[in-house]
Amino acid sequence: MNKTVLQIIRFVVLVLFQVLVINHIRLGGYVHPHIYLIFIMLLPFNTPKWQLLVLGFILGLSIDLFTGTPGLHAGATTLMAFCRPSIIKLVSGNLKFENIQEPSLGQIDGMWMFRYVLCMVFVHHFALFFLESFSFHLIGQVLLRILLSVPVSIFLIMMILYIFKREKKKE
Amino acid sequence: MNNLGSFIIKHHFVILFILLEVISILLLARSQNFHRNRLVNTTNDAVGKVYEWSSEVGNYFRLNTANKQLAEENALLRKQLSVVYDTTSCTYDILNGDTLYEYIPAQVVNNSTTQANNYIIINKGAADGITRDMSVMSTEGIVGVVIDVSRHYASIMSLLHSKSVVGVRIKESQELASLKWETNNYRYGMVEDIPTHIVLKQGDTILTSSHSYIFPEDLMVGTVEEFYPTAVDALNRAKIRFATDFATLRHVYVINDLHKPELDSLKARFQ
Repeated sequence: MNKTVLQIIRFVVLVLFQVLVINHIRLGGYVHPHIYLIFIMLLPFNTPKWQLLVLGFILGLSIDLFTGTPGLHAGATTLMAFCRPSIIKLVSGNLKFENIQEPSLGQIDGMWMFRYVLCMVFVHHFALFFLESFSFHLIGQVLLRILLSVPVSIFLIMMILYIFKREKKKE
Repeated sequence: MNNLGSFIIKHHFVILFILLEVISILLLARSQNFHRNRLVNTTNDAVGKVYEWSSEVGNYFRLNTANKQLAEENALLRKQLSVVYDTTSCTYDILNGDTLYEYIPAQVVNNSTTQANNYIIINKGAADGITRDMSVMSTEGIVGVVIDVSRHYASIMSLLHSKSVVGVRIKESQELASLKWETNNYRYGMVEDIPTHIVLKQGDTILTSSHSYIFPEDLMVGTVEEFYPTAVDALNRAKIRFATDFATLRHVYVINDLHKPELDSLKARFQ
């Protein structure tokens, strides 16, 4: 029960932080970082797969509600949630997580986390900017957006994860 | 039947994924089809409220600039009013008689400038008499068009939208052209379809034309930044700098064209 409450708080805080703070940062026209993905990234390893999808969809739709783009973030985040099990397999190789509940910086080493975040962010941004190009058909600009936004998102996400890890140690 | 059931259970992950993606893409496609459905339920009071709380915090830091802008506008209006006082004896008749436009002041509660399609949310809605298709201006220039209203909030399609097209006029030559946005910089727009014999120079003023049916005539749009003559095409283009600074937009006016119903019904008769 306690964990569920934590997840809900994390969900609300991340959505608000994304739409009220991050979306208002202007770094040229091409850089659009998205950090709300942390919610899906940090779900426990044993989360049922269907829950991943449903939560991804709801998370994306919540962002869409604020940005006035129904379906855009929902589609991209659902795809990312769909890819999560495969990405975890891909970046882990032979590694086994026997005592680890969820992929967080405090419990897993930084290099693993970085590769994990990189793959997740890339899948999400790729889908997001191409879905956006529904109406925005300049492929060069779309690729430029992806290339410039991915590093910034990864940087911000790693920073947030790092701060989060520090707080955990104190407890 | 049994087989189908076990198939669904076995592949529930993929099936659910495809289902959710189809829903997303349908929602997205519906919202893209601007003329049929406009924005689908995206203006809602709860979202507006959250944005309003957040912008209230930000507003304190911008009071200075806002005051200055409003004071400047006051000064301008005073100047215009003094002309009226001097030349006519019964001023108030002019104000009450044949008013064409009503201006509803509103505050921006959320605004984006970095997306391919930008929307602005303001804190006035249907309860304040705002309806779809009303035009919106700031003290500096035009801003956009109302595309959706809820009870207390309204969504505006900003000029910074890939589907935004506004009929404009070049002040000096009175020639008509159309204004679009090239989706990467919130400061500049692109005026297209400029007749070949017209040569613009930096600083030339662009105003709204009455042909747009959305904006009142002669509102400030922007000034020419760069002129691109084309040898091949018949029409020239020019990059303009928007008079409105979309990044710091706070106070706007929604323009209620009081003659619009009449104009619309007249237009409908010929269609």
